[in-house]
Amino acid sequence: MRRNAIPLLPLFLLLGAACQKEAPPPPPPPVTAPPTTAPAPASVVSVTLGNAIGADKKVAAEKDTFGAKDTIYATVETAGTGHAKLRALWSFVKGEKTAKVDESVIEFDSAAPATNEFHISKPSGWPKGDYKVEIFLGEAQTPAVTKTFKVS
Amino acid sequence: MTSEDDKKNDDMPDFSDVQSGASSTAPAAETYEIYTVKSGDSLSRIAKGAYGDANAWKRIFDANTDILKDPNKIFPGQRLKIPKKA
Repeated sequence: MRRNAIPLLPLFLLLGAACQKEAPPPPPPPVTAPPTTAPAPASVVSVTLGNAIGADKKVAAEKDTFGAKDTIYATVETAGTGHAKLRALWSFVKGEKTAKVDESVIEFDSAAPATNEFHISKPSGWPKGDYKVEIFLGEAQTPAVTKTFKVS
Repeated sequence: MTSEDDKKNDDMPDFSDVQSGASSTAPAAETYEIYTVKSGDSLSRIAKGAYGDANAWKRIFDANTDILKDPNKIFPGQRLKIPKKA
């Protein structure tokens, strides 16, 4: 018995090797979508103050000091696409105190850059002093842009 | 429109006669003013201040049905949309 076992050993090794499973093929490389450029959301590009605008709603001459009887315009240029909500908060500033002058909103669906204008006037005349306008985008609590100006 | 913040700034100027507007080159833009309700306000009173016509209160109510269910029940601190004059 013992003498017969030794010649059979190579046969067992050979059979064992033959019964081994074939290694699975390597997984196919992950499919990657071609890179696409997501549309940029609406954003504020610039805010310009003046006392007159043209038909294109753009301020003709930028100003930071106004007269008591001026209508004060803030032109807000926006870019990007999708729903946009612009809020302009106008305030009078006296030291640490502020008094709200006006708060207005423009909402629109933008497919291209847009020019937006907010304006305020005061028939009895603006009190002299420091003012600011804060432009908020969407529901943000922090203004995207703040502009200060004076009435003298 | 009246500035609701003046209540805590008694020494500040009066901005109640400020007139405002807004427009956009974007098509179908909606513009409105934000008014914060003060004690003693009613929609009629707010409409009188905004449009010079107390009977225009329904225009304000219709613009705020998301927060107003009864035109006779408005509360200090509520922020109402006031559609701009056409």
